[in-house]
Order: sequence, then structure tokens, then C-alpha cells
Amino acid sequence: MIEFEALKPQNLKEALAVLKEKGMDIKILAGGTDLLVEINNNSDRLGDFKYLMDISSIKGLDEIENKKEHLIIGALCTHTQISESELIKRNFPILIRAAKTIGSTQIRNRGTIGGNINNGSPAADLITPLIALKGSVILKSKNKKRELPLQDFITGPYKTDRKEDEIMTKIKIPKITSDYQSSFQKVKRRQAVAIARINLAVVTDIKKKRFNDIRVVFGSATPTAIRFLKIEKRLKQAHINELDLESIAEQTGQEMVEITGERWSTPYKKPVVGNLLIRALQEIIREVQ
Amino acid sequence: MEFNHVHKSKKRVDVYEKVTGRAKYGADMRFPDMLYAQTLYTKYPYAEIKNIDLGSAQKQNDVEAIITAEDVPNNKFGVIIENQQVLAEDKSLFIGDGIAVVAAKTAKAAGRAVELIDVQYKELKGVYDSLEARKEGSQLIHEENESNQVIHHPLRKGNVKQGFLESDVIIKREYDTPFIEQSYIEPEAVVAVPYQENSTITIYGSIQNPFATQEAVASVLKEKLNKVRIVQNHMGGSFGGKDEVVSSMAARAAILALKTEKPVRLVNTRDQSIKESYKRHPYKMKYKIGATHDGRLKAMQIEAVADSGAYACQTPFVTWRSVVQATGPYEVENVKTDTYGFYTNNIYTGAMRGYGSPQVIFAQESLMDELAEELDMDPVQLRLKNIYHNNSITASGQKLDSHQVSLKEVLTKAVEKSDFIEKYNRYKKEQPGDKKRGIGLSISFRGCSLGAEAIDAAGIILSLKKDGSVNLYSGLAENGQGLKTVYCQMAGEILGLDIDRINFMEVDTLISPDSGSTVASRATLIGGNAVKKAANNLANRIKKFIAERYEQTEGDIVLKDGTIYGKKDIEIMSIAEMSSKAAMEGVYLTSYGWYVSPEISWDEETGQGNPYFTYVYGCQVAEVEVDIKTGEISVLKMTAAHDVGRAINPANVKGQIYGGVMMGLGYGIMEELKTNQGYIQNTNFDEYLIPTVKDMPDIDPIIVENPDPDGPFGAKSIGEPTLELGAAAIANAVANATDKRIRSLPINLEQIIVGRKLSKGGE
Amino acid sequence: MQKVKVSLTVNRKKYNLKVDPDERLLDTLRDRLHLFGVKEGCSIGECGACTVILDGKAVNSCMVYTFQIDGSQVLTVEGLEIDGRLDPLQLSFIEHQAVQCGFCTPGMLMSAKALLNKNPNPDKEAIKTAIEGNLCRCTGYQQIIEAIEASTKKDGSE
Ligand SMILES: Cc1cc2nc3c(=O)[nH]c(=O)nc-3n(C[C@H](O)[C@H](O)[C@H](O)COP(=O)(O)OP(=O)(O)OC[C@H]3O[C@@H](n4cnc5c(N)ncnc54)[C@H](O)[C@@H]3O)c2cc1C
Ligand code: FES
Ligand code: FES
Repeated sequence: MIEFEALKPQNLKEALAVLKEKGMDIKILAGGTDLLVEINNNSDRLGDFKYLMDISSIKGLDEIENKKEHLIIGALCTHTQISESELIKRNFPILIRAAKTIGSTQIRNRGTIGGNINNGSPAADLITPLIALKGSVILKSKNKKRELPLQDFITGPYKTDRKEDEIMTKIKIPKITSDYQSSFQKVKRRQAVAIARINLAVVTDIKKKRFNDIRVVFGSATPTAIRFLKIEKRLKQAHINELDLESIAEQTGQEMVEITGERWSTPYKKPVVGNLLIRALQEIIREVQ
Repeated sequence: MEFNHVHKSKKRVDVYEKVTGRAKYGADMRFPDMLYAQTLYTKYPYAEIKNIDLGSAQKQNDVEAIITAEDVPNNKFGVIIENQQVLAEDKSLFIGDGIAVVAAKTAKAAGRAVELIDVQYKELKGVYDSLEARKEGSQLIHEENESNQVIHHPLRKGNVKQGFLESDVIIKREYDTPFIEQSYIEPEAVVAVPYQENSTITIYGSIQNPFATQEAVASVLKEKLNKVRIVQNHMGGSFGGKDEVVSSMAARAAILALKTEKPVRLVNTRDQSIKESYKRHPYKMKYKIGATHDGRLKAMQIEAVADSGAYACQTPFVTWRSVVQATGPYEVENVKTDTYGFYTNNIYTGAMRGYGSPQVIFAQESLMDELAEELDMDPVQLRLKNIYHNNSITASGQKLDSHQVSLKEVLTKAVEKSDFIEKYNRYKKEQPGDKKRGIGLSISFRGCSLGAEAIDAAGIILSLKKDGSVNLYSGLAENGQGLKTVYCQMAGEILGLDIDRINFMEVDTLISPDSGSTVASRATLIGGNAVKKAANNLANRIKKFIAERYEQTEGDIVLKDGTIYGKKDIEIMSIAEMSSKAAMEGVYLTSYGWYVSPEISWDEETGQGNPYFTYVYGCQVAEVEVDIKTGEISVLKMTAAHDVGRAINPANVKGQIYGGVMMGLGYGIMEELKTNQGYIQNTNFDEYLIPTVKDMPDIDPIIVENPDPDGPFGAKSIGEPTLELGAAAIANAVANATDKRIRSLPINLEQIIVGRKLSKGGE
Repeated sequence: MQKVKVSLTVNRKKYNLKVDPDERLLDTLRDRLHLFGVKEGCSIGECGACTVILDGKAVNSCMVYTFQIDGSQVLTVEGLEIDGRLDPLQLSFIEHQAVQCGFCTPGMLMSAKALLNKNPNPDKEAIKTAIEGNLCRCTGYQQIIEAIEASTKKDGSE
């Protein structure tokens, strides 16, 4: 049984001050949809902590801002907020598609983007598209603010680069031009409230019928969601009407095995990652034709 | 026939409490000074318990009592074979065995104390596979036995050797099915109250079978039955699941309550529920079938092995039902089946909706499609050639002559409504794209009620009040299926009373007549007949009273719309007025109805006899879409035709069909309790997946009615038939779509892509 | 554990409470306020039996600590009824036989209510999405959907 004291800072400043003082004993609590499950299950992943610091009602962290070069999403934005945002819909429809597949209505009403990232699950449905969008995260501590690419922030399964005195305040996504297309795929064991068996985000622009700046990110296929650089390299500049689908699929599976090694699930995932990538590419190609 | 109250979709009598949140379930019960109990479970599936140190747990604040096996007066119970431990004594036999139970003033204190109990174990090498357990010289789970065999049911008819010789085509296949969790949404809950009124102990809770629990608790406490009172609360679902596990919890709570002389509440979390409650049996099945070129079945040979887990529980009966249904509803002259149950150190297995039928139907109906394929016939044709008709002789030698055998009717209706033939042929051809459609069907016959398992009788008490309202006492219980409403409708029909004048009392062993268990889809049929008897008795008493005083003959009197009519339909008085007059004259206005089912028979050596007095028939058609690139399956449509005898409440019948179809869908494509060396890997709904609303296909229920001479108002059963067919129909649809035959449930992502199951660290 | 002061409005009634840090909204509603219509089925956000409306949104009350929601408005199934009059949605559940064992019913009602508050005329897909986090093992969902659909027409533009 886990016991803790509650902390409820009134604003970010106060929260950061408390974190500076006793960060090593503090767990940050946002929507709670990951944390309360782990506490209920007495999960080993929790480690030791003395305080639970609720940031869910801190003002200013749940806004979506439209900057010239970027879109900025507050870490406390819920999946529901993201799904309903016109700004996001216009700029990054892939995020909406992904957010809508998360949990249930109740979970989306509480669960936040910051929680999804910081929990660091290999299957997290927002991490995959955010990496493909080259998103970065902004972390604040009492005296410091830093920004780093999301890809670097996630350091392992359920592991991140967050320091004990930091709060993630924002997620920053560089805008893309209108010739970018995207696709999000998620394989599930049932049709709702399902953790991704595999998810995939593909973001690319197409110039002269050729893939250009293509980014392929799989979740739940490798220890953490990452870009599949080899297959990206092969696809870059490939003509959309001249793809050797079978061998692309095959190579994708191989790349997964190179990263992950053989696991119990490999016989399933190896072919399916390839199939999914083909499906995503076809979807994108259909869009542009 | 015209009815006023039955055969109508009346509103449920218990619905108001349920939509307002007023309905009290087991976990909602509160009593002054009530203590909270927590169970400590074994750490290892199979281990010797060397020592239990309660020292520091006992010293915790607010802890009032802790019990271990030593405190249990009689530690073994069971309906068939008494070998289930209330708390593990020398050894834990499976991962859900309890070691100790703490009662404390708060749930938290109880939880803390449980963590402080220090148990010394010696881990033992267990047996986790039913075929392993079967081997000679295998480690014995129960040392007092000579082998791990719980039961063997043979069935011998004709001469299979000869039958196979006469066959043109013979195929042999193996099928298997997993452990399944009932997944009632309400976890088990009981509260034991000591020395309430005249009872030593009173148990409230989520109890499927109050009389079974009463017997278990009395035997554990070594107390007389009439001192143990069980009161059933609203049940948040059961599906067969809230029997032995709840009895064991009730016994634990009772011992603590008597020890502390305070009410004790024991409520499971979902994790505890999945870990300690029994499951549907996994089966490993070998089928061999022979037929002539033109599709006549000649012989069938079946071996089915069920994993009973650590205890016998209901394995002997569950496997018995499999025997009767294993060959499907087909005329076969030569049959040899052997159905076994074996102990292992896995979670124990018992009743779950279907009760031994979903496993064999999955095998049998998959096999029929495989055979059709082999014979190059369509699946409907092959079935029509062999199905039971009136006067057919079943595998157990029973002549089906007491009722309308409506297999052809249900099959034809479902096939036509779903456009089966056209779709089957179209989907068989090469389909473009990644998503392949398929259609499949399955049919079954199902024996109603307990059959030759046990005595099949039930009682009802009706008590007419001075104001013309009625209390109805039943020993069979509402589990959510709508029993209260149906009984009120039947009593109302005979007494001429609206159902809101009839109050179905909660089942209370203090007064309700012991009617056995609410299982085997028997409540409408058996209990309904008892309602009819009780209501007729009461109606006759009313008629006699009127006839004697108002110059009427009993035969002319009619009870309708709350009023008593005499000769030439003249209105004599209201039932309310009559009740008050009769009460004043000291007339006895309570009636009893006791119904015993028609005779049945069974020969354990040969598997021959008349195991059930009537049967129901059903056919389900599944249409699926399989994504061959990811392995995802969506079930698009299910057509379900069921002969229910007569639908007492058509809306309820539909509700049963929708619910059963979805449960069958879960069995087909997603549900599987995973075990590894006796440990359960998925102990909550995040990993044990049941269908959500988004998994729901378009469901087309077809209610077929052939009133049964032995059913009340012609009614038979619907609860279980709806669930037993889905997985088989889906498996056949998947084969139609993909040309791949999957012989192991569930048909999940990996099976579609890799052709077999994959599991973490397991098998 | 140190208690935390929280004020909540539950079913239109205000409460000032001192709660434990690990007290979930579910515990507060059931154990303190005795609103037993809020059910616990899984404790991890999977079943939806504990669904209540928190500041206008359906949430799993097992996934919220009470100390997090100081100043909030909570509506449970007990609050659907006003002055003895049932909510049209409750009447529709009765009418359409949308209830069997009833254990999922309060949560279903709250998910549906939150949807209808926001969107009085949802289509079938929106209804399914609203209750995708509410497991029902008895009904197969069909009659629940029918009940919600029927009450949209009543509540809607007519
Ligand atoms: C039933 C159910 C279904 C689910 N389905 C899905 C699904 O389909 N896909 C999916 O991806 N996820 C799913 N989840 C997981 C979860 O809902 C999401 O990951 C959610 O986004 C977590 O956000 P939260 O605010 O609830 O996180 P919390 O539980 O509050 O926090 C999660 C972690 O992040 C840390 N944290 C939170 N916010 C910050 C911050 N601003 N700065 C620093 N650290 C922070 C916390 O300390 C904690 O370690 C599901 C969960 C449940 C219960
Ligand atoms: S108890 Fe909260 S979702 Fe199941
Ligand atoms: S009615 Fe029983 S769970 Fe829904």
C-alpha cells in the first residue's frame, strides 16, 4: 500500500519552488489516468515518493497557442481538448486522429498530453505522431527553462530525461506547409479502449511525386517510439508510383528486428509493421492523387 | 392464444431502483460497527505452508481479528466433491487460494495488516497442463486420490469402428479453448452479520445461489442449516460465476463475524476477483468424423479433456453437459465420446454461462464446416442432411418426441434472413484489398434445465394481502436476467393482476422455498411452472370463496384486470375487495406451488438415456471482416434465431440475445485468461478484454416460438443458448473470409497473421 | 497522511470536507456521502461503472483524487432526479429495457447525460463514443443505444 501527502500549489511558480526544495520525493500528478492506475496496482515503476503534487488545476498550462512558426500545446491540455481544437485540426490533423483513439471519453476528458509523454509508455499514442512532427518539449525548473526534441526526451521505456525539479509546461511543434501529408495507424485488440499493439505515424511532403522530408515512427514495436531511419532513407526521393511495396514492407520488419532483437511477439510484429507502413503510404498517396 | 400479461414486453419490475441508483448491491450494505475484511492470498500457485506469523499484523491499530485455516471448523466444502479449501491448510493448490483473512475497523488498516503477515512457503513443482496431469505417475494434486482424474464420462452408441469403415470421408481435427472469466461488472461482495434475530449468521451479498451458499456456510461452520440465513442483494451480474467463490468468501466473513461479534464485509477488487474466482473450463478436444460422399454422418469419435484446476467444483456436471452436446444436433448412428476432467494447479473452473457447451460447439461446428469443405458441399446443405427432426434419436439414445424439434426452422430462418448462401459463395471467391469478408454459421440443440445432473424442482409462495396486492417468494433468484419480471407476469396472468400489484421479494433463505440453483437456464421453465402452480392454487381459492358466497360456479369465474367476473361476465367485485372480505373471515390466502420436472434418466457407463426432458434449438450466423494485414477482425453482423418455446417477455428475450451474442463474440475473438505456470497474467479489464460498445455488430434477433407442452405458457430457455453459438459461427466466417481454419480460441491478431498464439514468457 | 480541505458541490448541494490525500472521488461519493449509485468495477478506469459528471464532463471517479478538485461541481446518478421527477434519460432506459443487472447503469446514464448536455442530437456513432468506456456484460449494449437515441429525439429540436 502506497502512502503519500498531497501538495497542491496554486500556480506554476509555487509548484517550481516546491519542486526545487523536495523534488526527489515528489510525483507530479496531472490527469492521473496513468498514475492512479499505477498506484492502485502498487506498480514497481513508481519508485519511492512522499508527496503527490497535483498540477491539474494550474492556470496557463492548458492553452493552445498559435505562433508564427510553431504551434504550442500546453502540457495540461487533455485529449478531448486536442481532439476538438480547430487550430490543431488545421495544422496537425494527425494529432487529432491519434488523440481520438486514446482510451475512452472519460479517459480523454482527464488524460493530458503532458502525462502521455512523461509516462513514457512505448505504446503512448501521442508520442509517435509528435516525434514524426519533430515536436520538442519545454521543461521549466525554478531557475531554468530548457527545450529539447521529444525524441531525445524519451530515454527508454517509461524513462525520460526530466530532472526532479522540472515540470513540462509546453509541447512545441514546428508548423509544416500544406504539401505535407500524414497518416496515423493503430492496431488494437478491440475497437475501443485499447492500448496500441503497434502504432505508426508517417509525416511527409511530396515533391514532384516523390517523398521528400519523410518521417516514419513506430510505437510499441521498439523499446521506445523512434524514427525508422533506414526505411526513411530508402523512401526519401522514391517516386510514389514506383514503390516496391513488398520489399519496403520486408525491410521495415528487418529494421524493427535490428533495433529490438527477436522477442516473443516478433513473428507477429515483423510482418505487420511492414504492412502498416504500406497502408500509411498508400493512404497518403491516395490523398495527393 | 390471447394473453394479458405474459407474451408482452412489460417493463422490468426492478428497473426503477436501478436507474435511480437506489438499488443496493452487496458492496453498498452498511451496518453499525461493521468491520472490513481483506484476504491474504498465497504467493505461489503450489506450495507448502511452513509457517504463518500473524504477530505484527495482529498488533496493528484497528485490527480486530485474523483467521487462518486453523480457525475454520470444517475447511473443505463443495457441491459435488468436498475438496475446496476455505483457506489453504497445509498447501496452497492454486494462485487464488487464501491464506489468512484480516478484519479491521477500516479497509486501509485491513490492507496494511495483510501486508504484515509473514508466511513461510516451500514452493513445490506443480502441474499446469491437463494432459500432463492425466499422465500416469503425474504429481497428485489431491494426495488422497489415486489419480488426477476428476471425472470420466463415456458415451457409447452403435459401433464406431463399423461406422468409420462405412465412411467415404474421414477427418480428424484438434481444437482447444482457453480459460474464460465470467466478467460480471460487479466484483464479489458479502457482508456477514452475527446473531441477527434468530440466526447464528446472516449473509448479505452478491450471491447467485443462496441455497448453495447456505449449505456451504453451514457445513463450514458446522452449524444447522436453519441457523444460517442468506439474503440476496441486487446482483451485478453473475453468469454462473457467483457460486462457490462467493460461498467461500461468505464462510470466511462468517467466521470473522462470529469471532468478533461484529458485521464483517468482504468485497473483492477486480484483481482479487479474477485471481480467486473460478473460470470457464479450457478444453482440449480431438474429433474424428466419418461421412458418406453424399454427406451422411456415419460415425463420430470424440475425446474432450477439461482442466478442472485445483478443485472439483462443478467439473463433473459441466463435462456431463458436454457429453450430451458434443456431437451436435446431428443424427449419427455410431458414436464414441470420452469426456474427462483433470485436476491441475491452475485456477479452478466451474460454472459459466454455457456450462460445457461453448467448447464442444466450437469444435463440433468448426468440424462440420471442415467436413463440408472436404465433401465440397455448402455448410447448410450438410447440416440439413443430418440435423434432428421430430422423433430423431440423439447420441445418447433419446427419442425427441415430446416437443417440436425446430432445428430446420431456426436454421432456415437465420440463413434466409442473413442471405447466407449468396454471401457464402461470394466471399469464398478471391476478394480484392486487405479486408476480407466472410460469413459462417453454427447450430445447436441444448437440454433445458439441470437434466440428469440433479433433482430438478422449484417452489413458489404467493401471499395475497388484504388490499389485493401479492407478495411472491421464490427460491430462484434474479441475477439481472429479468426473472422477477417474468414471474410477476406469469402470476399476474393467472390472478388477473397487473404486475405492479405483485412484489417479488428478495430471495431470503429464511422464507423462500429451497429451489436449487438459478442455473442451467432453468428459472423460467422450472420456476415458471411453480409460479403457475402457486397462482392456480391461489386463483382456485379465490374462485371457491366467491362461488360459495355469491351463487356462482367456480368454472364460470374469471379473474381479469384486478376484478372477479362471474357467469355471463357479470362483475362481482374487485380482487382487493374480495381479499379484504376473505381476510376478515379468516380464509387462508397464501398458496404454494411446487414443481418437479418430468422424469429423466442416464446410464453413467454407456452415456445412454433421456438426459433432459426438453430441448431448445438455435442458429447464429456471423458476418466478419478480417484485416489480413494486421489480423484485426470486426464482426459486422450477427443473426440469431432461437426457439424459446414462448417469449414471456419479448424485450427481455431480445436483451438475452444481444448480451449472449456479445459474450460469444468475446469468446470468439478476444477473451482469454492467460496463465503461466499457474500465475494469472491478466487480472483486470486492461488486459482481460471484453467487448465494448464499439465491438458490437449489427445484431438481428429472430425469436422463434413453438410452445412446449412442458413449459409454463409454453416457455423454455434463452439465457445460455444465446452465448454458445457465436464463437463457432465466427470461426467459420473467418475461414470463409481467409481460407484459414483456426482451431484455437480466441481468434486474435497473432492467430490470423502467424497462425498460432504467441505469449509472453509462456508455453 | 495529512487531511486536505476541499469544498465540493455534489448534486447541487455544497459540502466542505477534509479528505485523505489518497481518497478518490469514488471513495468520497460512496463512503462519505453514501451515494451508492456510484459503482466500483475495476478501479483502473477500464469499466466506467464509477462514471460521474465533473464540471460538465464525464470522468471515471476512480481516476480522480478528491483533493485535486476543490471547488468543483459533481453530478451523480442520484442527482439526475429533480424533485422526484426522473430525467428523460432515466425514463428512456426504463422504456427501452436498457437495464439488466443494473450495475453498469448509473455509469451509462452519466456518460449519456454528459453527451446530451453537450450535444442534444448526437448520431449513433457519437452515442457509441460516449459510452465506449462503459462496459456492460449483460445487455450487449443494443437496448442502451436505443434508449439514448430515443431520448435525443425527445430532448432535441422538436
Ligand atoms: C482506461 C485507460 C485507457 C488508456 N488508453 C490509452 C491509449 O489508448 N493510448 C495512450 O496513449 N494512453 C492511454 N492511456 C494512458 C493515459 O490515459 C495517457 O497516457 C494520458 O495521457 C496520461 O495523462 P495524465 O494527465 O492522466 O497523466 P498522469 O497519470 O497524471 O501522469 C503520468 C506521468 O506523467 C507525469 N507528468 C504528468 N504531467 C506532467 C508534466 N506536466 N510535467 C512533468 N511530468 C508530468 C506524472 O508524474 C506521471 O509520471 C489509458 C489509460 C487508461 C486508464
Ligand atoms: S471503477 Fe472506475 S472505471 Fe472501473
Ligand atoms: S446491465 Fe449488467 S453490466 Fe450492464
